[in-house]
Amino acid sequence: MLKVPEHQVAGHIAKDGKLGPLVDNQGRFYKPLQGDARGENEAKFYESFSSNKNVPDHIRGYFPVYHGVQLVEASDGSGKLPHMVLEDVVSSYVKPSVMDVKIGSRTWYPDVSEEYFNKCIKKDRATTTVSLGFRVSGLKIFDCQESRFWRPDKRVVLAYKADGARTALRKFVSSNSLADDSVPDCAYASEVYGGSDGILVKLLEVKAWFETQTLYHFNSCSVLMVYENDSGGDERRAQVKLVDFAHVLDGNGVIDHNFFGGLCSFIKFIQDIL
Amino acid sequence: MHLKAPEHQVAGHIAKDGKPGPLVDDKGRFFKPLQGDSRGEIEVKFYESFSSNTEVPDHIRRYFPVYHGTQAVEGSDGAAMIVLENLLSKYSKPSVMDVKMGSRTWYPEASEEYIQKCLRKDARSTTVSSGFRISGFEVYDHKELSFWKPDRKLLNGIKVDGVRLALRKFVSSNTLSDTSSKPDSAFASSVYGGSRGVLTQLLELKTWFENQTFYHFNSCSILIIYENESIHDDGARAQVKLVDFAHVHDGNGVIDHNFLGGLCSFINFVRDILQSSDESTDN
Repeated sequence: MLKVPEHQVAGHIAKDGKLGPLVDNQGRFYKPLQGDARGENEAKFYESFSSNKNVPDHIRGYFPVYHGVQLVEASDGSGKLPHMVLEDVVSSYVKPSVMDVKIGSRTWYPDVSEEYFNKCIKKDRATTTVSLGFRVSGLKIFDCQESRFWRPDKRVVLAYKADGARTALRKFVSSNSLADDSVPDCAYASEVYGGSDGILVKLLEVKAWFETQTLYHFNSCSVLMVYENDSGGDERRAQVKLVDFAHVLDGNGVIDHNFFGGLCSFIKFIQDIL
Repeated sequence: MHLKAPEHQVAGHIAKDGKPGPLVDDKGRFFKPLQGDSRGEIEVKFYESFSSNTEVPDHIRRYFPVYHGTQAVEGSDGAAMIVLENLLSKYSKPSVMDVKMGSRTWYPEASEEYIQKCLRKDARSTTVSSGFRISGFEVYDHKELSFWKPDRKLLNGIKVDGVRLALRKFVSSNTLSDTSSKPDSAFASSVYGGSRGVLTQLLELKTWFENQTFYHFNSCSILIIYENESIHDDGARAQVKLVDFAHVHDGNGVIDHNFLGGLCSFINFVRDILQSSDESTDN
């Protein structure tokens, strides 16, 4: 029995009869193949990536596991549509705080249509993409004081400038009430961002791979950060996953300098908080 | 003070049609005319800031030309010029390459007109695809015993393969004007490799760029210089220098991710050539 994911922070949402992803209760995420070649491109990437012997195992762990394509009843009632079956990255969490950060100082890439280029560059310039090399796409943070999730409006998130992005990254690891304007306490910064298995260490591992990998250009991809808030568990289990591969292209012997630069900038922001 | 036009300039403005160009003296100094519309001002402001910035480590400072202030120079209508170290004065037969770094040469603070002009140029060249473009180069041909420089128009149209070819030609000893002969990359390991070669220097710069948030080096170039005279006996004395600071802006707490990404891409190109030339000499 498939349902709408609880913790989706960015991308198309399967709500009110719209087409969007679904999850089952076995840790799988069903992403409908989007129209106009993007879905095909994403599936093609996952197929290539899963069988690519040149990807080291420790890097593979930063990508959702791919389980092929299946015909599944679509969320908008349009019948059975092909869906990519992926690992549901948040399924093992009880109360996950989630943040989606789109990496790169540009979301467009060579040979796109003029229309797409104009749409992208307008958004890139209006957000922190051009200035910082990344932008926060969405976030949902568990406010342990209020004991509920806080999720800012999408328009607010897209209007963030450098300070807004910094504040969001601080709020992401704070325990105090998030809805008001109190200064984020960053109480969980060292547990979530820091430590030998924290987000910073993981991002640095990904960065090291991007310094030399010329296999793929991850245009418009996001880094998803997740961690546990459930007081029952001892660990934060902070995770980093790369997601959204609709615009990935062959590297053709050149590194993904766009993603690399943005990732380094993002890493610096996290380091500054720590 | 005896001033003349520099011999080996590969990119940027040259003295033409009554417009002032750069000059050099016989004391190792380079005189750069202050460009109009605030660019000259920005470049001076950068050099002033950089020279007195105590947080720039010494080993990074050596990748920048030494700044000697501004001076009004005779013959240039009393217009002020930026006085810099002449980077080529210690070389007798230098090969020089100018590489503009970054996957975009525009920046948020620029005018809309400038941004559009840059976008067009960036898309037509390897800037967008590879994160850098070769603005120009001049290399000494050891067979013809003269300098060779590719046609500027041809250079503007090259793609990734053309970049690799140019980087090979830059360190070759065979006749370069002959398009049928393959570049021998004879000097690849002396220029690009070694404990003080271009690759090592670029890696040092890269480490600094991963953390420095002082400046955003929009549209800046990396100049690569090496000596051809007695290269077999004395080595190449390869040097990497950052130049052209007319569009530098404050970093404002953010790293120069644009320059860093392009630099990392350029490093990979250089490393690939070094590795393939090492492999061929092993055979």
